[in-house]
Amino acid sequence: MNENNELSRRGFLKSAGAIVGSSMLRIGAPALAALTQAACTARDEQAQFTVLNTDEAADIAAITARIIPTTDTPGAAEAGVVHFFDQAFASHFSDSLGFVRGQLGALNDRLGTRFAALDETAQDAELKAIEDTEFFELVRVMTLFGFFGMSKHGGNSDYLSWQLVGFEGNRGAWMYPFGYYDAQVHGGDDGE
Amino acid sequence: MANSVSFDTRKAVDFVIVGSGSAGGILAKELSTAGFDVVVLEQGPYRRPADFSHDEYSVVILEEMADFGNVNSRQTFRHDDSEVAVQTMRQPAGYAQTVGGSSVHYTANFWRFREIDFKERSVHGPISGTNFADWPISYADLEPYYTKVDWEIGVSGAPGPNDAWRSKPYPMPPMPIKSSGVLLERGANKLGLTAQPEPLAILSQPFNGRMPCMNCGYCMWFGCEHGAKSSTLSAMIPLAEASGHCEIRPNSAVFRVELDERGRASEVLYYDIDGNERGQRAKAVILAANGAESARLLLLSESSRFPDGLANSSGYVGRNFMYNAHAGAFGVFPEPLNDYKGVQVTRIIHDYYETDEKRGFYGGGGIDARPLFSAHPIMHALLSMPPDVPGWGKAFKDEMAWNFTRQMTIVASTTSLAMDRNNITLDPESTDRWGRPAIRVTYRDHPDDLAMAAFLQDRSMELLDAAGADKSWRLPLEPTSFGYHLLGTARMGDDPRTSVVDAEHRSHDVPNLFICDGSSFVTSGRGQPTMTIMALAFRAADRIGAAAAAGEI
Repeated sequence: MNENNELSRRGFLKSAGAIVGSSMLRIGAPALAALTQAACTARDEQAQFTVLNTDEAADIAAITARIIPTTDTPGAAEAGVVHFFDQAFASHFSDSLGFVRGQLGALNDRLGTRFAALDETAQDAELKAIEDTEFFELVRVMTLFGFFGMSKHGGNSDYLSWQLVGFEGNRGAWMYPFGYYDAQVHGGDDGE
Repeated sequence: MANSVSFDTRKAVDFVIVGSGSAGGILAKELSTAGFDVVVLEQGPYRRPADFSHDEYSVVILEEMADFGNVNSRQTFRHDDSEVAVQTMRQPAGYAQTVGGSSVHYTANFWRFREIDFKERSVHGPISGTNFADWPISYADLEPYYTKVDWEIGVSGAPGPNDAWRSKPYPMPPMPIKSSGVLLERGANKLGLTAQPEPLAILSQPFNGRMPCMNCGYCMWFGCEHGAKSSTLSAMIPLAEASGHCEIRPNSAVFRVELDERGRASEVLYYDIDGNERGQRAKAVILAANGAESARLLLLSESSRFPDGLANSSGYVGRNFMYNAHAGAFGVFPEPLNDYKGVQVTRIIHDYYETDEKRGFYGGGGIDARPLFSAHPIMHALLSMPPDVPGWGKAFKDEMAWNFTRQMTIVASTTSLAMDRNNITLDPESTDRWGRPAIRVTYRDHPDDLAMAAFLQDRSMELLDAAGADKSWRLPLEPTSFGYHLLGTARMGDDPRTSVVDAEHRSHDVPNLFICDGSSFVTSGRGQPTMTIMALAFRAADRIGAAAAAGEI
């Protein structure tokens, strides 16, 4: 395990702690247990990148981390969204790899350093300047695909994003009531 | 399950049906269980319920069931015939390519038409610049077949105060009300409107050996792995195959209907999965490939006898294309709805169904409440965010996270008027992966269509407010440029000069060629056409079967 993996592992654990403390998410005890287990193993086996080189991966990871930042809850970094990019560029988004690679190169040339090396404030300022470009929109949309898509597509480690928004999509079956308002009709608790 | 029968391509079967969707699946079941030998040619693969997933990225974003967007179909779109049509990211004439067709991935809102829908031209008079017309059949003609859909396909619901009469009750109660339904009801009550239970082709109880809905929340765009959604794949095709008279032949892309020297349809030509040309001989041919594909196939089947396209002596093939217009308004509420669970829609408002001439334009529609894009997180983040929130960063993240369980959408579905200028034609440049000229859609809503959508969008905003939304916003209303409702392109009628098929779905020009799907529609209805497509298919099967038995085909 290299240093970066160790850093991301620590970040992940920190975020997992934030989830535990977050009343907004109201996740149940079984989910917490699973999360703790996952936190201990998930980043140990960080996948090798297929098409991205290490620098490109670092830049993309940095951009995605500003699109969905780590706050008191996990963001794109903890969800491993960069791995979705790598997987997508090796498959459905292979046509976009050259474009993204070229745009990243141009961005870094302009900065005189790699995007990933900037601090977060500087990164936000650079992204603000390009937020209307096709390049940024592609990365933004792919970030959402990776963050919220199923883990098998490379991102959304341990379905962190689903916990963030309160979506228990993997359960696959539900009993009424579902929410606060229909609980007033059906009786019972509010589905939380 | 293997096909129980397979037919020799060189031997004429009683019927070849092109398409296995809402119309084709029903025609296949009805005719095969009546003892006719039927081959169904379906261009998509044979997916089984176990093949369906809850994978939003693959199903909704990559559109694995709907041609991965538009990669093989290569359909093109333009608003006006002065423009060069361009290939779009998603099919402008959208449909699922799979056994069961779009009934596999539909949301399953199942409104019947009302009596007025069949005779609006007589009631309201002509509308200039349009082909506004009455249907050649009435609600009373179709009612027994609506009832057949209820009881054979499986529809849950309860009668509303504004519904058309029905000869038999729903076979099962409506799906239980969700929070979006409760909120719509709350808004409706305050505004003096009526929210009624939504009829759905989704089982609320065990029915005909099928499982009821498990409330997984993956209806719209997804296939139902429990078979609780009443697709033709779950309700009809198993019965057709069990008859021993029906072969479903998937991965079969039809490119031509051949005529014999007498001008009768004799063979249907198609590409098999390897791209080899095949032909299936038949005594009669039924096109049920949807309102875009059936029209294209007729145009592709031109000949010296029919230089403008098969069965197109009227010139009406491909014309009068209608999508239904739609409008959306979003609201965020103080407490969680968790509307991602369960079916999309449980309550609708039909107070604005009929044209009110005081509004100053033709049209009517229905309003429903549902999660819409907020049923799943990618689409929620992509399409369901309020316009005052930036598209990235902490504020974006916080808004997504807070809203997901608290958000709903009020959707208005409305009429479209039939016009010459809106049509399906063959693209002069683009060809699909089989080499067939691609579907070209030319479409610009009639001003009345957009006026009606805007009117209902205003009502939707009022409803959100009356229901107690913390925050609400609307989607900008733009001319329609894609859709899944594919209607009107081979309309039924008594006059061969202004219609393609008669009231029995037999083409005016070719006695053993029938067309039955969304293309048969004369008017668009109020935005939920599939119930009527299915009722037409049951009725057509009765008429076609009777004619065949009497030796009149």
